[in-house]
Amino acid sequence: MVRAIKGTLVECDPSIKAIILDIDSKTHDIINLDESHLIIKDSKVAELKRILEERLNEHTKVDSLEEEEEEEDD
Amino acid sequence: VVDQIRLWQIEGERMKTTPGYLFKEFSTTSEFNAVCRYANDLGVLVWADHNKGNLFVSKHEQIADYIRKRAHAGR
Repeated sequence: MVRAIKGTLVECDPSIKAIILDIDSKTHDIINLDESHLIIKDSKVAELKRILEERLNEHTKVDSLEEEEEEEDD
Repeated sequence: VVDQIRLWQIEGERMKTTPGYLFKEFSTTSEFNAVCRYANDLGVLVWADHNKGNLFVSKHEQIADYIRKRAHAGR
């Protein structure tokens, strides 16, 4: 019996997908399809994009702080 | 310069989202293939995994009708 599930298809890099799965680890709303595809609820798209953006920005900030610290040591 | 443009493009396409419907658990490979072809002809096929028998479409009404008609024809 064929099943149809309403949702939003997300296509992304495996590295981005790993972050998305980590964000989802508490709610388990995601259907994992393959290394670069997954399905999320339509209502979760905006929230996911926002959290993903935050995570990616966090990484950038951490990198720049480390560089500054190294400069101070010199 | 070309490499920088490519990097920007990759950044912008970090995540592509398409709303629609996932169809899964087809009873046979031939049913999956037929639905896949039909969806592609209609221009609503977004993605398909032939190994796992999953497909994603942007519109589902005509696909659901097609599956129902095939099921009736098979009886």
